[in-house]
This record gives sequence, C-alpha cells and structure tokens, in this order.
Amino acid sequence: MAHTREILSLQLGTYANYVGAHFWNQQEANFCYGDGDGDDQVAEEHLLHNDILYREGLNSHNRTTYTPRLVSVDLAGTLAHLPLGGELYGNFVQRDEELLPFGTGEDLNKTRQRVEESGVAPTSQLELQEEPPTQLSEYQRDLMKNSVVPDKDYQLAETVRSWPDFLYARYHPRSLNVLPGLARSPVHQTISTYSAGAALWEEASFNEELTDRIRLYIEECDGLQGFHLLFDIDDGFGGLAGKCLEHLNDEYGRASFVVPLHYPRATSYPQADSRLSHSIRVANTILSYHNLSEQATMFTPLSTLETIWRNTNLKSRTLSGLQWQPDNLYQTSGLLAAFLDTATLGYRLRNTPESLMRFCDRVTPSGRKMTAAGLALPLGVGEGQDLIEFLDQSGDHALLTQLSPGCEPGTSYVVQSVTARGIPLERLKRPREKAGDQMRMAAYGCDSVSQMLQLYYQCSYHGSVTNAASTPLPLKSQLPFPYEIFGAGMNSSGFRLPGEAEREPGLRVDSVPALAAIQNSTQLGEHLDNLHAQTHRIQLAKLLAYNNCSLERDEYETALDQLLEFRDLYADSQYL
Amino acid sequence: MASISLLNPKAEFARAAQALAINISAAKGLQDVMRTNLGPKGTVKMLVSGAGDIKITKDGNVLLHEMQIQHPTASMIARASTAQDDATGDGTTTTVMLIGELLKQADIYLSEGLHPRIMTEGFEKARDKALEVLDKVKVPVEINKKNLVEIANTSLKTKVHPALADLLTDVCVDAVLTIASDKTKPVDLHMVELMEMQHKTDTDTQLVRGLVMDHGARHPDMPKRLENAYILTANVSLEYEKAEVNSGFFYKTAEEREAFVRAEREFIDQRVKKVIELKRSVCDGTDKTFVLINQKGIDPISLDALAKEGILALRRAKRRNMERLALACGGTAMNSFDDLQEENLGYAGVVYEHVLGENKYTFVEDCKNPLSVTILIKGPNKHTITQIKDAIRDGLRAINNTIADKALVPGAGSFEVRAYNELVAFKDTIKGKSRLAVQAFADALLVIPKTLAVNSGYDAQDTIVKLTVEDRLNPDLVGLDLATGEPMKPVDLGVYDNYIVKKQILNSCSIIASNLLLVDEVMRAGMTSLKG
Repeated sequence: MAHTREILSLQLGTYANYVGAHFWNQQEANFCYGDGDGDDQVAEEHLLHNDILYREGLNSHNRTTYTPRLVSVDLAGTLAHLPLGGELYGNFVQRDEELLPFGTGEDLNKTRQRVEESGVAPTSQLELQEEPPTQLSEYQRDLMKNSVVPDKDYQLAETVRSWPDFLYARYHPRSLNVLPGLARSPVHQTISTYSAGAALWEEASFNEELTDRIRLYIEECDGLQGFHLLFDIDDGFGGLAGKCLEHLNDEYGRASFVVPLHYPRATSYPQADSRLSHSIRVANTILSYHNLSEQATMFTPLSTLETIWRNTNLKSRTLSGLQWQPDNLYQTSGLLAAFLDTATLGYRLRNTPESLMRFCDRVTPSGRKMTAAGLALPLGVGEGQDLIEFLDQSGDHALLTQLSPGCEPGTSYVVQSVTARGIPLERLKRPREKAGDQMRMAAYGCDSVSQMLQLYYQCSYHGSVTNAASTPLPLKSQLPFPYEIFGAGMNSSGFRLPGEAEREPGLRVDSVPALAAIQNSTQLGEHLDNLHAQTHRIQLAKLLAYNNCSLERDEYETALDQLLEFRDLYADSQYL
Repeated sequence: MASISLLNPKAEFARAAQALAINISAAKGLQDVMRTNLGPKGTVKMLVSGAGDIKITKDGNVLLHEMQIQHPTASMIARASTAQDDATGDGTTTTVMLIGELLKQADIYLSEGLHPRIMTEGFEKARDKALEVLDKVKVPVEINKKNLVEIANTSLKTKVHPALADLLTDVCVDAVLTIASDKTKPVDLHMVELMEMQHKTDTDTQLVRGLVMDHGARHPDMPKRLENAYILTANVSLEYEKAEVNSGFFYKTAEEREAFVRAEREFIDQRVKKVIELKRSVCDGTDKTFVLINQKGIDPISLDALAKEGILALRRAKRRNMERLALACGGTAMNSFDDLQEENLGYAGVVYEHVLGENKYTFVEDCKNPLSVTILIKGPNKHTITQIKDAIRDGLRAINNTIADKALVPGAGSFEVRAYNELVAFKDTIKGKSRLAVQAFADALLVIPKTLAVNSGYDAQDTIVKLTVEDRLNPDLVGLDLATGEPMKPVDLGVYDNYIVKKQILNSCSIIASNLLLVDEVMRAGMTSLKG
C-alpha cells in the first residue's frame, strides 16, 4: 500500500523564518487547482507531491485548509500583523475594520460580548486594554482583500519589516511559537549564545508545548520520512536547534536535513564589542557544528556571503544576471529559499522512489555530513538555445555559484546531487531532422535532462559521482518573490536574451530555469580549517565571563576536539 | 560624582534619594496596574494585541507575563511575584500590592531623614511578629470535602465569575480527592491532565475519571466505541521504517534489498501478531474488547492487521500519558512484546472516540480505581479556555497547599487587620526609631482590605475604621463582607486563604522591599548604551 511519505519542517530563528516564508510561497506558487489548471504539458510524474510537506485540515468554520506541516519558533515582535494562531482558524480579533468581511477574524465588540456571555467575566468587570493595531503592509492588505495586482510595485525589498509582510502562504495554529519575553531588537541578536538558546529548550512550559505540537503533527503521519530543519546559527537559536534535533532523534529517529543559516550581516550581540562579538559568533558556530556532526543526517550551511569570517565589507557571492543588496534579508532569503526548493525537488516529486534518507546518504559518504550548496539561477540557457548547446558552449566555465560560505568543493572527486528545473523536454535538443551540429555531440544520445546533466558532469568533473534529477517546472518568480533582482538581460521566462538585447521595461521575469546542487568533496575540510583558525583569535576568558552565557570551558574544548576529528573524515583525497 | 563616571563618562547613574525615588515610583506604577484586579470584585482584563491576539485574565501572574516590563526595578518585583506563583500558585497580585505599599509607607519616614538601614531592621522585626500572628490565627483543618471546597472556592472566585467558580471548585476538589490515595500527602498534580476542547456552542468543564487523549484511531475500520476494554499501553515501534534510517547495510542487487525489506517487515509483523494473539487469548469467547495505546508509531499495514481483529489502536501517545494510563487503568506500560501477560493489561469500562473538526479525542473512562484523572475544558474559543485553564491550575494548587499545610488562614482581609492591630501594640515595646518602621509595615498591610473595599465600591477609610475597631473587640478574626461592605467573620462564611501563601508573601515582600530600600545608586553602563 503506497502512502504519503511525510516530512516535517522546522524553522527556528528570524532569518530561518524569512527563508521559510519564501519557501512556502514558492510551494503555493506551484499549486495547481484541479485539472486543466496550470501546466498541462508537464507530465504527472514531474509534478510535486504536495502532501509530503502539507497537511489537510478543517477549521472551525467547516472549511478545508491546506497548510504546511511546520513548526516555527521566533522572537516576540517578529510576527507583526500575524496572530499567534495563524489566520485560518479564527480565535483572534481583526483589528482592521476594512478587512472584517475577509478571513476568520472577529469583530472586537462581538468578541467582547461573547466573553461576557460565556460567563468567565461579569459584564461590569471586564476591562479592555488594547495595543495600537499593527500596521498592515500594503501587499498583505491587498492579499487579504483578494485584490493583489500582479503588476503593482509593492517595493517589498524596501518596505518589508518582518517575514509575515510578504508571506503568501497561511500557517496552521500549531505552527507559530513565540519565545515569551524575548523581543526582537533592531541592533543586535536577542539571544546571544548557543548555551542561552539551549537553556530555552529546557524551560518546562515552552518545551512541553513545542514537543506536543511536534508530536501531534507526527501522529497524523503514516510514513514520516524525516525532518527539514532550518535555523539561525549565529545566535542562540543554534542551541535551541541542537536540543530540538536531539529530541527528534531520541523520539522519532528519522532522517534530518539540517540547514544552518548565517545572517548576511555582521552580527552584534548585547554588551559586546566587535571583537567579543566575533568570538561569540565563532563559538556558536563551533558548538552547532559539533552538535550537527553528531545528530544530523546531513547539514548544509547557507549564506549569500562569500565568507562569514573577517568579511567586514560584506563581500557577497554573485550570480550572473542577478543583483541584490547584500544585507537585505528579504532578497537574500529569497535566493536561499530558491536553492532549498530546487535542491529538495528530487524527493518531493510524485511517484519518486527517492527518499530524504537516501538523498542525504548519497552525498555524505563515510560520515562527511557537512555538504556545500551550489546554485545556478538563472541557469543561463539562451532564448532559443537548447540545453545541449548551452552545456557544450559553457566549456570550463562553472555553472554553479556556491552558497555555502567559505566552501569551494572544486571540480574533481566531488560527490553531488544536482537538480535541474524549468527545462522542458523539447528544449533538451532538436529533433533528428533539424539537429545539424547537435548530432555530432556525444550528449545527443541523452533522452532526458537528468541524463544529459549526468553525462556533462561525468565529463567535466574528474573522478566524481553525480546524481541528477530534473523537472520541467520552473522556479516561479512572481510576487512575492524578489523579482527585482533579475537583470534586464533575460526574457520573462528567465532565458538569456541574445547579445546586448534587453527585456522590455515593465515586463517582469515570471519564471526561471534553475540548477541546484548539494556537493561534497575533500576540499570542504578547508571550511572546517578556516573555522578552526578563527578560534586562535577567540577571547575565551572574556567569552566565558560573558553574561547569561553558561558556556563551560570543558564543553567548548570537547566540541573543538571532536570537530577536528570530524574534519579528519574529509582528509583522504583519494577516497570517495 | 560616582566613580563609574571616571571609567565611563557616558554611564548613566542616579544616587541616594534619586535612586530611591526611581525604585519607589516603579513599585507604585506596578501597583497601580494590578490594583484593580485584587479580590473577587476586581476587574477582568481583556488584552488585545496589535495583531489581534486575545488574552483574558484576572490572574496577576498571567498579567505580569503579558506585560513587557522594561524598568529594572519593576521587573525585579515582577520576578518576585512570579516566584511566588511558582512556589504556591497564588498571591501574585498581593505580592505586588504589598511591595508597592511597603515602599510607599517607608518613603514617608525616609523623606523625614530616617536611614534606610533602620527601616529595614524594623521591617524584619515587624515581619517576624506578623509571622507569629499568622501562626496564632491559622485554623487547623481536617482534610475533607467541605474544607477543600471552601479554600478552592475562595481562590477561584478571585479568578473567574462566581457562578463559574462554583462549578470549577467542584471539579477541582473531586479531581484531587479521586487521586489522593491517602489524604495526608499532597497529590502529584501532573496526574491531573487538563484537556481542552474548542467547541462552538458549549462552555462546560467536567471531570473525567479516566483519561482523555487528543488523538484517535487512524484507521477507518477501527471501532469508534468499545466497552469492557482491556488496555495495553506500550512503547514499541510498530512501523517499518527503521531499516532505512539505520542503513549501515549495503546491498548489491535489488533482490538483496527486497529480501532485507521483507525480513524487516516480518519483524514488525511478528510484534503485531503477538498483540493479536494476546487479544485472542483474553477476549475470545467473552464480551471483552481490546485497546492498544502506543507511544511509538504504528504504520498503516499494522493498523490494518489490528483493525481486522477489532482492536482499537492509538499511536504516538504523549509520554506523560503512559504514566497516567497505568495509574488510571492499571496494568504496566510495556517496552517489549515478548512475554505479554494478562496482568500487564489495564481495564476501562468504556473507550470511545469523539471527533471535533479536524481534532479527534479518545476518552478512556469508567476505570476501576483511577489514580489519574482528566479535567476536560470546553469553551467557544481559545482565550476563554486559556483563562479557565489558568484558574483551574490555581484552584488545584490551593487544594494541594491545604493538604500539605493541614491549616488555613481566614481570608477577606481579616488576617491583615489582625496583624495591623497586633503590630501597633507591638510597636510600643520597641525602643528607638525602628518602631517607626514597624508602624510603616503595619500600615502597609492594610492595603489589602483597603483595595478589596475600593474594588467593591466601598469607602476605604470607612472600612478600615470599622474593621480595626471590630477586630479589637473580637477574639475571632474579622474580615470584610464584599456583598454588604460590613465586617463579618470569614470563618462563618467559609472564606479561607492558604497558610503557605500568606507566609510566602510576608517573607518575600519584606525582603524585596528591604533590598530596594537599601539601593543607593542606580547605574547603567554597558556596550549597548554606548552604541546608542
């Protein structure tokens, strides 16, 4: 009996929720409702199996809901207009009268009346205390009124204050958790250290609530295959994630694909100067890596920055044809989400025999659990060009840009999983009668995108193992994706325009073909070496004295030692 | 100039009188916020957040958690009263009120030149005396239903509407009495599960002598209702999945893999068979039925096999429910299915499923001798349920405190009035200026009856005069009747407070107040304030 092989997603931390918001927006952009809707030419097996990540429910208004199987934890104040219980199941007051007819929010006076009727408080004694309503972003207002103008410029990059501002997806009441009493601060990280985050997990009432929510999600699953865990590694959420992962392994013992996210900014911590801040960041990373090297099935650090260490002018990775502000959370998280969505496509398609476990296993030979991310967005295939020509002409020029900070897997002895999207089969090669030059290329024998990619990497990467998957579904880059990052040199379906030609102004890029890879090679050991090199500069004494950081010297040193052992797994260059 | 400014010229600081003024104003501010909540006639606050989240509460502790307190002094007081709640489950509002009032009264004398140190010494003496009085007036009680009802009712009436309080009182007392094996030790309140159910039209709270779980069977053919049921609680995985996770295995061919999968499946099937065999041996030929409640997962194939046998199976039960189940139904929680015996099984008269929207609930009821019970809270929306839940927690704590103390203190402000009178008399026996502090302490205690009177719409001074005079004439304690505004005897009306709560309040308030009084310099210096 075939049943759904569910995955539970967890997002811990503010930046993780930014990336998550884009990720879910992307999922819902690919929903097709009913037959004939959406891309008819896409074969059944190339469509996404949404039930893997989503659950069906019924709200109190007897309406069916379809929401992400998600547990999210964030600081107080990051939810903006979003009520803690989400917007689908009621239980909140709609503060904006204009929006009352839409959605499930209630009128304030009615709520008050019902409270009085229910007998918990006599009429005369009920005292109302209102906070001023949170300002709704223009995009959200239009979204709720169902009147989003796709061509309107909402200037999301400039106006987004927090991730709910651009969230198209809607969450289940079980999803959102807020750390009580810890409010977001504009200048520094609220929970500074790994240990402080770990202590949060231990807090009884929070722990009980969170583990119960996880349990209820998993109780619904017939064939849970594992977890996607996104978290902010720079601050205390690393500790929270570490504890959470331990709990998941103890209780459920499934595969976990963990994505630590680095802020694309220089992070600072309360009561710490820049040098101490650096020490804290290094220590947090070391403790998290140590935990992940033991607990995770696979982990892939992500950031749009080139490196995390000593990167004072925020030198960013560059993707050709794309421009973004290096420290803009909305734009950078959009990119990272595009990577995540593309890279995980392989095991989320319908009828795929792939599973999260096998996916992780394949790119983590002999315990090398840390992997690197690579993305090509847009893929760079020209308008009217076929994939076969594109690959032929790319020569030695690398397709992928690395998205793991300080990781360069190189081009030989690489173990990788690549996923391509947005190349329809007819763009693979020309039919025999019109083939011309293509006939002479070795790749002409390939009948699918994945086959051709496999061959390409076989030829261009020495001694490497590649697993390729593909789907014709492109990345949807309409609102609320940061479409403004695309340069003028491509057409609205994301294909490169010939020569110097530019897209008509006013026309947006609606969808893009993309290629994402998760790679592993001996060279990733250097990433760990770099991390280790930072520890020489660390002010351990000061760090240990740092307030509300219960870090123990022993704990830190054990983590460091074991991290070096973990690094040794990457040592033998001949071994694959 | 403070020495800190030599090191850090940008540091902000306040000295002596100024520092004291900061602390006192903070304490007063907090007192003002909480004042209206005290007592059964206090207001209920409905908090609506910027995003529209609703919270309804009268509980000082909940309010303090909701408020984002920035002021360092205020947050210190708030922490003291939160600690009060953790220790005793009640008295948070009183703590805040009393600390504020102690500082206010002290301020009068300090402004006339009394040294804070003398003040705090006097506070200590006064506190010891007040504790003595407390010990004298406490009423030893027998642990029976009537007494517990009275104490729970007093506590609950300060949290919810009286009509609802009466209902909750019965539920709380019955819950504790059901699971208390001997009536001398406090019960483990974890064994009272609070289960909430959001129901459009229904507001009701009831005691279930058994267990309610927030999940149901995941197979369409499983029975929805079973009577006379054996309950097997287990922590054994019944799903084929592990194999892939611990894949230290490598297979050369697809056949090898297939064989491996089959072997692993076989392993799980064996476990399911053991359960079925047990069911057959104990149930066949009788009218008994069988329920399996598992902490681990059960996959669809196993569910199917169990459903064919008419077994109701639940997966992923809460860890704590394993313990509760064993106490409610008897039997033991099994960690393996080898050697399953009938005596490992528990028993319940009826097990049934209830579906509400997307949520399923499973009731395990009619247990023989339940040592774990469930309080089921039904309400039309989340915020009502939360408020009732908070109230029930406090009610249970009050009952438990009574069982631990085996004593109660008459309520309605009567203890404070008596302590006031005793302290005023005690003051004359003290030499030196610290007698002023004892006077201040005595005055501060009166804030409780005063606030009770004001919140019920009576005149504060009138009430205090009436009460203090009446108290002097009477050997019994005299409190305020909130319905009439006249003095009454709380013992007659059954208004009681917990002894431990009062004791804790006296202790923590005088300590915190003393600490705050002794502060003579407040400074703020740090990286963040430098950065701006």
